Amino acid sequence: MKLGKWFDGRLPNRQSILGVFAVSVFLVYSWTLFTSFYKLPSWMFYLTIGQILSVYAYAFSVDLLESILALAGVLLLDLTLFLALRNMEEFQSRSILVVLGALISSVLRFIHFPGYGDIEKFLSGELIWWAIALPLGLVVAVVASKNKWVRKILDAVAERAVVFLYIYLPLSLVSLAVVIIRNIY
Amino acid sequence: MKKISRRDFLKVAGTTVAGMLAPDQLFSLKSTDSGQPNVVIILWDAFSAKHLSLYGYPRRTTPHIDAFAEYSTVFHNHYSAGNFTTTGTASMLTGMLPWKHRAINYGGLVKSEFAGSNPYSLLGEDYFRFAFSQNPWPDRLMGQYHQDVDRFLPPSAYSLMQDIQLIEFFKKDRALASIAVEDFLLPAQDSAPAGSSLLGYLYKSRTLNNASKRQTLAYSNNGVPEIMDPGYLIPYLNENVYDGVIFELTNLAARDQPYFAYFHLYSPHYPYRPHNNYRKLFRDDGYHPASKPNHPMASGLEEDFLLGQRILYDRQIAQVDDEFGKLISELDRNGILQSCYLIVTSDHGELFERGFAGHGFQLMYEPVLHIPLLIHAPGQIKHKDIFTPTSNIDILPTILSVAGKAPAQNMDGKVLPGFGGQVDEARPIFSMVAVDNPVFSPIKKAVISMRKHALKLIAYLGYNEMAQPFELYDLESDPEELNNLASKDTKTLSAMKDELFASLDEANQPFIKK
Repeated sequence: MKLGKWFDGRLPNRQSILGVFAVSVFLVYSWTLFTSFYKLPSWMFYLTIGQILSVYAYAFSVDLLESILALAGVLLLDLTLFLALRNMEEFQSRSILVVLGALISSVLRFIHFPGYGDIEKFLSGELIWWAIALPLGLVVAVVASKNKWVRKILDAVAERAVVFLYIYLPLSLVSLAVVIIRNIY
Repeated sequence: MKKISRRDFLKVAGTTVAGMLAPDQLFSLKSTDSGQPNVVIILWDAFSAKHLSLYGYPRRTTPHIDAFAEYSTVFHNHYSAGNFTTTGTASMLTGMLPWKHRAINYGGLVKSEFAGSNPYSLLGEDYFRFAFSQNPWPDRLMGQYHQDVDRFLPPSAYSLMQDIQLIEFFKKDRALASIAVEDFLLPAQDSAPAGSSLLGYLYKSRTLNNASKRQTLAYSNNGVPEIMDPGYLIPYLNENVYDGVIFELTNLAARDQPYFAYFHLYSPHYPYRPHNNYRKLFRDDGYHPASKPNHPMASGLEEDFLLGQRILYDRQIAQVDDEFGKLISELDRNGILQSCYLIVTSDHGELFERGFAGHGFQLMYEPVLHIPLLIHAPGQIKHKDIFTPTSNIDILPTILSVAGKAPAQNMDGKVLPGFGGQVDEARPIFSMVAVDNPVFSPIKKAVISMRKHALKLIAYLGYNEMAQPFELYDLESDPEELNNLASKDTKTLSAMKDELFASLDEANQPFIKK
């Protein structure tokens, strides 16, 4: 009971959480769909339609997990690092910026060091990259979310992104069922 | 007190477990109680017969294989039906030509209606069936019939990265999960970004960091060969892998059941990173392979670079040969060698000429198609040579024949001469690469090679950049394939083209929409 009350007082409202989740879902799924277009031509060369749909089922299942983890991450940040800020109004925009920053940061490194020959570069620069990107991203997220216009834009984005939940969540649940069934029988 | 090494531990553990399970069978010379023979395939990935001293290579790369050949049957003109892993391995495992089984794309799968044509399903439950491929592509192929594999090790087994076994979460959907998860969502390395942005990044970072650390710990100076394709990065030490082979075979031999075991070992596949002990081998030995003109479709690599790659490859082969020597002496010592058919081969070769290095490209010359094949039968003590051209699609019918099983329908392969099959000099031996052709369509874009007698035809179908779409060589008088007879011997060319196109038309029939 005490823990529940502790959370009640500290967690943002459900609408804000839903907004952050919706944006995470939109970003994560969009990236997967985008990268799948690199692979689709080769899949069409050797996989049947059913097999290609099954690959997407795996993708959406992983994306669902990833979106949940992203949401859990920003909530954890809010309950720890950002606890001192105690500004629930900024939670949504701040969290969206954090998710966006993490995603852009990862994607940039994927793009810069894609191949076998880049492995050493990928590894050697990793610590410096995140040592700069993480604090910078957090500061930008906190500072930018103080701005009324940034907040207004990101809140509007979150509000509109909720519509993607109506598409992606059922799709992901079906995908999850497909993956489970394929791995049982 | 002397520290027990991993190698010692595996040897002792293997022998102890085997001894506890079945002391009577361990040193038995007979095949099995049921009379069905044990069958073991040791396959080296990308092992060109052209680089074996056994087949006349000027460098002494393979003294242990040469010694093994003294009491084995050696096939001198054995060909892979494909020039890269997926096609080559699928052909061997199905006994079918690529234009039928259709595993013709990188990392592709066998057409579902032919997936049942494989040694695991066809040998059946009489056998204990074991599979281990370090290369993820054959692992994926065998994932199509995982239910018929009794012990199925992941590609990371006996590597330095045994904790990375993502595919183990999807045992019942191994083939497709491998494409979805390992190729797309969470690749350790790939030319395209991971499909999963955040988890993909974390997985890549963790894998590469672990791989990097463990390589450094294992050998001090770039001595560890790596698995890199496709989307994988698994460093391994050949000595650990071969110890693993001994361990697994010792356990299999202890079973009260005939066994079939397939080991698809990655070395000497690129990247060639032989142990430091081999770093001076063949240096300045004066060997210079024949200089060949650049191929119109090749990347135009300089000859010096190709010579450098060749020497690294030869060193890698020498290392593999040493490990093989240890393996054979261990199998001989514990009686396993005398109680099984041991088939030693490759899935395709490797090529360092005409401005290209590697395999899987549109080049279909001898170094990339001619592969080793040695078979040691139980109790065999004499050497035997087979010179008639054979194909790796003949392996499965031969296994089924010696096991007393009926061949599957639709198989293109024949039982090998020397193991119940007939010598058929007039038989055409086909190999092909069709990575640019969809699996669901008739073969229109491919390079197909047809060997018949000493003649070899190479046909470039659908590649308009080839001014001369046909090449014809007499391998007896021109083993280096330097003298294209296509414009000189038009009669032979025409006859061989007719035969090739007649076979292709027949193979394409099921794919032509009516």
